[in-house]
Amino acid sequence: MTAYLQASGVDVSFGGLKALNDCGFTVQQGKITCLVGPNGAGKTTIFNVITGFLRPGAGSVSFKGQTLDGWKPQAIVAAGIARTFQNLRLFVDLTAVDNVLASMPAQTGEEPVAAIFRPFHVASAQRRRREEALAILNRVGLIERANDFTRNLSYGEQKLLTIARVLATGAELILLDEPASGLSAGALDGVMALLRRLQDDGKTLLVVEHNTRVVQQIADDVLFLHQGHLMAQGTPEAIVNDPALAEIYFGGTI
Amino acid sequence: MDFWFSYIALASIYVLLGLSTNLLVGIAGIFSVSQAAVFGVGAYIVAFFLMNDTMSFLPALAIAALCCVGLNILVTLPALRVSGDYFVVTSFGIQLLATAVFTNWTDGTGGANGLPGIPPPDLAGKALESSGEVVTLCVAGMGLGCLIFWLVMRAPFGRLLRAIREDELAVAAAGKSVLRAKVSAAALAGAFAGTAGGLYATFLSFIDPSSFDLDSSILLLTMVVVGGARTLAGSILGPFLLLALPQILTLVDIPTTVAAAARQLIYGVLLIAFMLFRPQGLAGEKL
Amino acid sequence: MLALQLLCNGIVTGCALGIVAVSFSLVYATTKIFHVAHAGVYTMSGYVAWSLLRHGFPAPIAFVGAIAAATALGALIQALLYARLEKRRATHLVVLIASLGTLAVIQNILAAVYTANILRFELPWGTRVFLLGGNVRLTMTQILTVLLNVAAYGGVMWFSHGTILGKQIRAVASNPFLAEIVRLQPRRVHIYVMAIASALVCLPGILVPLDFGLQPYNGVTPLLTATIAMIAGGVGSITGAFVLAIVITELQNMSLLFIPGEWSIGVTFFIFVIFMLFRPTGLFAAAR
Repeated sequence: MTAYLQASGVDVSFGGLKALNDCGFTVQQGKITCLVGPNGAGKTTIFNVITGFLRPGAGSVSFKGQTLDGWKPQAIVAAGIARTFQNLRLFVDLTAVDNVLASMPAQTGEEPVAAIFRPFHVASAQRRRREEALAILNRVGLIERANDFTRNLSYGEQKLLTIARVLATGAELILLDEPASGLSAGALDGVMALLRRLQDDGKTLLVVEHNTRVVQQIADDVLFLHQGHLMAQGTPEAIVNDPALAEIYFGGTI
Repeated sequence: MDFWFSYIALASIYVLLGLSTNLLVGIAGIFSVSQAAVFGVGAYIVAFFLMNDTMSFLPALAIAALCCVGLNILVTLPALRVSGDYFVVTSFGIQLLATAVFTNWTDGTGGANGLPGIPPPDLAGKALESSGEVVTLCVAGMGLGCLIFWLVMRAPFGRLLRAIREDELAVAAAGKSVLRAKVSAAALAGAFAGTAGGLYATFLSFIDPSSFDLDSSILLLTMVVVGGARTLAGSILGPFLLLALPQILTLVDIPTTVAAAARQLIYGVLLIAFMLFRPQGLAGEKL
Repeated sequence: MLALQLLCNGIVTGCALGIVAVSFSLVYATTKIFHVAHAGVYTMSGYVAWSLLRHGFPAPIAFVGAIAAATALGALIQALLYARLEKRRATHLVVLIASLGTLAVIQNILAAVYTANILRFELPWGTRVFLLGGNVRLTMTQILTVLLNVAAYGGVMWFSHGTILGKQIRAVASNPFLAEIVRLQPRRVHIYVMAIASALVCLPGILVPLDFGLQPYNGVTPLLTATIAMIAGGVGSITGAFVLAIVITELQNMSLLFIPGEWSIGVTFFIFVIFMLFRPTGLFAAAR
């Protein structure tokens, strides 16, 4: 059976620095898989490779049996994979609902000709899209703040908005880059509940996360990355309780 | 009265150019010094059709606008695919090349002496002879341009362009083509500039290369910078203000030999000052 | 014969443009700023030299005076304009527009003071003609242009690889963030770079007008050719910029055998388009 998402033999170098070294792993459909490892292990680099922003020097990534080698980021999003950013990268001068709308695929009026010659059609299509965007915001718990400018949202709300944005793309495989970092305990619980709701909706999640509590609570599977290579894979209990891995993670050998 | 007609007609034409430059530079963030070249192409095309009595004004204008759309796409697409700085070089090259063509292709453009005697515009068979009628045409053109700009900016396309100005990478990560959006903005800018050119040719009834050179491109940039980037208000305010400037300057005693350099000097100072102290211009958003 | 003369003229002008390209490339590779005002510094240095000569100063003094003026102008532009904009985290576009405004200011001050007409230098020894191989005429100015500009190229290469400041500049160019951490003070390096580049561009800024005359708006076309040479040679490669400037000027000159001179800008632009379509990173892009 072909794996849902599979990376094999991926090499990435920046100048003399090897960010990913013969990296390979599989992600199963419908599961929440957590990607853990010390800083510099290559977690964000993997995201960049999977989403087509970085070309690996060697190796390949395949999704649902189809290899993604050489695919442009647009095509990969269209195929069903989308990611969030650790540093958010929200459109701060746009409202929350506009952030979501800006991420929805294939809208009429996204090029000048329709905007000029079919303004009423564009307007009514936008009204429908807006309903969908509000539904997404409702799903992540941001409906109250839909018309507020993103710069005015709290950090926790902004993190929820990054998830709303990635949902807007319609992706089925969602890559989350530290969705829980910097959050208070209450907000953290909210995010974890949201991730489980997304899983119930049928999404597959690959989550980079440093917080071991989060990993233990939501992960079905854990990938431990070190120096650009997959060191271990297993259940959260196995990985978190492994003393050798803990030593690496907390600063043994870097 | 004639002076006011002239001012309003010219300002209307330059508002179209302001919208064009704002789309390209303000909204899509593409540094361009070749807008005057595109303006010139539009002017010479309409002048050609009108002087050879080949077709009436509106079809000629449409063709000019379409040619300028094509020109802008041709110029921006390959360059932007590489990088923004590449386009800076391309833009300078296009502007200098255009000036060379306008000045030296005497058969087509009348060379450095320009094209005199361009007929007035005609609508539905009737020629617009009086200055009042031509001014109305220009103002109508400006109105239509503003309407189109407003429609485009409130559509998803406008939102996409605003998102691109904030974070191109995030837009690409959402699965949208940043390149296609920028080239589309450039194409629309071309349509505005070409139309402005056609109106200019028929309003002045004489065009020559000096209206379409690098200095003119700098003036267009200054209009957008002073009026304000990325907004409709800025695109209207800038041209009206800056076209009044030469009139104000005549109140100061400047020898004519130095007048042109003095104007350009002021534009340069305005560009620096606004970038340093008020990048959003008078009525715009921050560049 | 004509072709040979054009060939030699091409080398002469090419060497001069080579230094324009090298100096521009220094600024661009280090500060990442597309310093279009460089054309203004280039133009101004010629006028300063001309003025000093007009006032009776001997040639070497005029030369040094022009270099001093250019260096000061370059450093001022960096310190008062670019540095301030950078501190405010201005976008690339804002800096470009400010640079363009500076160019307009410089050019038009020159036009107001000196008029827009062509001014000629009056240096009798400059027009002395030498005959090469019986067929090619080269003036003293042209020979000096080649010698001095090639020497300048050599100087820049030595400076960049052999001196501490040169190495610091290369370090800042390749990684300003890291340079900041290693206490290299990128801001100060930027001022040095602008000063050096402005002093450098003084050389062709005087030698070219010695040959062709002075005009306030004549800086843009050489700058355009220089930037194309920089891109074609590969950003970050000093040799690439210098060599490609000569090659492009040569091609431009040889094209005069086939097409009239007014269209030479077309030749240069055509070369640029070819590179843009097929090899945008240039021939010798510096390894990162």
